[in-house]
Amino acid sequence: MDPFLTSRIVSDILGGLTNGVTYGMVALSLVLIWRSTGILNFAQGAMPMFATYVGFGLLSYHWGYWPCVVVCVVAGLLLGGLTERLLVRGLYGKPEINPIVVMVGFLIVLEAIAASIWSSTPRSLPSPFSSVDWHLAGKPLSLSPFTVYEISTALVVMIAVAALFRFTKLGLQLRASALAPEVSRLLGVRVGRLLTLGWMLATVVGVITTILVAGGGFFSGLTPQVMDGIFAYGFIAAAIGGLESPVGAIVAGVVLGIVNQFVDDFVNQNAVIIIALVLLIVALMIRPSGVFTKIAHRRV
Amino acid sequence: MTRTWTRQRVPIAIALAIVATAISLVSATTTRDGVAFSVAVDVAIACLAALTQASFKTSHPVVTRAALTLLGLDVAIFITFFLSSSANFNLATGAAMSIVLLGLSFLTGASGQISLGNGAFMGVGAFVMAIWANHHATTPIVVTLLIAVVCGALVGLLLGLPATRLRGPYLAGMTLAFAVAFIFILGSFSSWTGGDSGLQLPTEVTAPRWLDGLFHAGTSPLTTSTLYLTDIAIVVAGVAFFFMANLFTSRIGRAMRLIRDNDVAAELVGISLPRTRVIAFIVSSAYAALGGALFTLINNAASPSTYSFALSVTILSLIVIGGIGTISGAVIGGIIYAFSTNVISWITSQTGLNPQGNFASQLNGILFGGLLIVTMLFAPFGIAGAVRMLWRRVRLRRPG
Repeated sequence: MDPFLTSRIVSDILGGLTNGVTYGMVALSLVLIWRSTGILNFAQGAMPMFATYVGFGLLSYHWGYWPCVVVCVVAGLLLGGLTERLLVRGLYGKPEINPIVVMVGFLIVLEAIAASIWSSTPRSLPSPFSSVDWHLAGKPLSLSPFTVYEISTALVVMIAVAALFRFTKLGLQLRASALAPEVSRLLGVRVGRLLTLGWMLATVVGVITTILVAGGGFFSGLTPQVMDGIFAYGFIAAAIGGLESPVGAIVAGVVLGIVNQFVDDFVNQNAVIIIALVLLIVALMIRPSGVFTKIAHRRV
Repeated sequence: MTRTWTRQRVPIAIALAIVATAISLVSATTTRDGVAFSVAVDVAIACLAALTQASFKTSHPVVTRAALTLLGLDVAIFITFFLSSSANFNLATGAAMSIVLLGLSFLTGASGQISLGNGAFMGVGAFVMAIWANHHATTPIVVTLLIAVVCGALVGLLLGLPATRLRGPYLAGMTLAFAVAFIFILGSFSSWTGGDSGLQLPTEVTAPRWLDGLFHAGTSPLTTSTLYLTDIAIVVAGVAFFFMANLFTSRIGRAMRLIRDNDVAAELVGISLPRTRVIAFIVSSAYAALGGALFTLINNAASPSTYSFALSVTILSLIVIGGIGTISGAVIGGIIYAFSTNVISWITSQTGLNPQGNFASQLNGILFGGLLIVTMLFAPFGIAGAVRMLWRRVRLRRPG
């Protein structure tokens, strides 16, 4: 076959794409919450991690992979909704640092509780697909059934979220209550419920990301800190793309994943996050509002 | 403030007199005679004299603050002579930590922003200190500390310049990314930073001869390096607090508070928003670096695992619990940090938990995280704010 497909550059792009979609999904979930509630959810990695532990705890009762995934998603819905109702509700309209501090506190508590219940030794998740790379003419292709599953699931999630916002009445209400909560309330939209729904949605996107991340061969299993690094990359992607733009978040995430893979391959592993940080600094310097957003002027 | 002072002058003077008398009494009965103790008493009495002058507070605020600082240092150092070596070590880490907390408190109190990466900025200070001491062993400690502070400020400038100009949680996110990245940054320069094992200081820091000479010959207490290092940490913390107290009330401090409360008004009176915000962030990272450099000095080593993201989170918890935006909150946070490990092991032993168990090892995170949420939801200004509010309520109730 064509040696081009197994060349170093193509395999970097494919490997980067696999990581990039996970960054893109985290960035997407951050943007969803940021747009609807003006809060950057620092527990956006920890909440899905917790739900994933809950779901895959059923493995010890000999449940299969797919039932566990369903339980994870349900746990994510519950956790997201409860968090918004009990913890976040009182923080709207408070100074900027209050929600940041509370969500960081929530992150610590969730990670500590997870570690105290399930211990912090990595727990390997079963995988429905093999994560052994396919071979072309005796050379590895850097693409396995699992990575295809990962990328296609991410695509499905992204398209589903986009379709929800663009084509459904619910999506219209979600957009309206994020843009003009007062007006929407007057027009009969239950803004409070929609905010809860937004958090549930974002948590589910996070749960799916966590399952993909922890299930793959790239990161070794599920740990309480599994999402810390991914969250950092997800934030960087969201900030580069512009916190206001879901499309920007996804594109920036994918690009960041590919860039990271190249840096990892051609420089070294330690340089990956440094380059990502430099990219963030440069992006904020050149275009502070994000690469993919229209510049909005602030009225006084 | 002036009127408060006039009214409370007499009780404060009495309290100070009691402190001075206590110091004299203890130094009279102690077996360690020497010039040092009479110095301690003299300093206390001099500060007391300066502080009881009612008009002095308003006419010379800086001198008053200096006198207060000196008095605090005097008492704190005096106390260290009577503590065990492990208690002194805890106190030293607490003093170093309170410097870091002070920087973060200033950043939030003055500009309304927050940093989640002060643990990494501590790491910058700690490793600059260790690297410099390994290459130039003869440099005086003060100079090395200053070099660490300058490096911390430079890194702060690099990260703060893009992020502080923006509204929204950009600074918090970027500092979080920096905190996560810091260990990898150290790894990239492993030929300098010693890789995973970190760096040791080449020589143990001991008291200079002239300082030893102040004490009773032969059994000079300063030859124990823990005590000497504790006193260094306390003095540095005192100096840092003195500068910060002045900065809070200076022109730029007032500008920062105006920005926090109403940035539009601040811009209208001609304050440059981005510049002031960047300055606040640089001050906070420089203070963090100073605290980190002291950590290296106290531990005689710098290890990369200390400066993980968890440390940044601990710093945030401490200052929020102590009282963010206040100076006293930093002191409270420092004290909590100094004795938190003792308290947690006490809780473990009282509740009969298995100390090696999963729950006991995570107790630190559960307690700090929980307190962080509860404090922010119910008492956003922490212990310092709660005490201040109680005090105000008591004052209002009292007639006259």
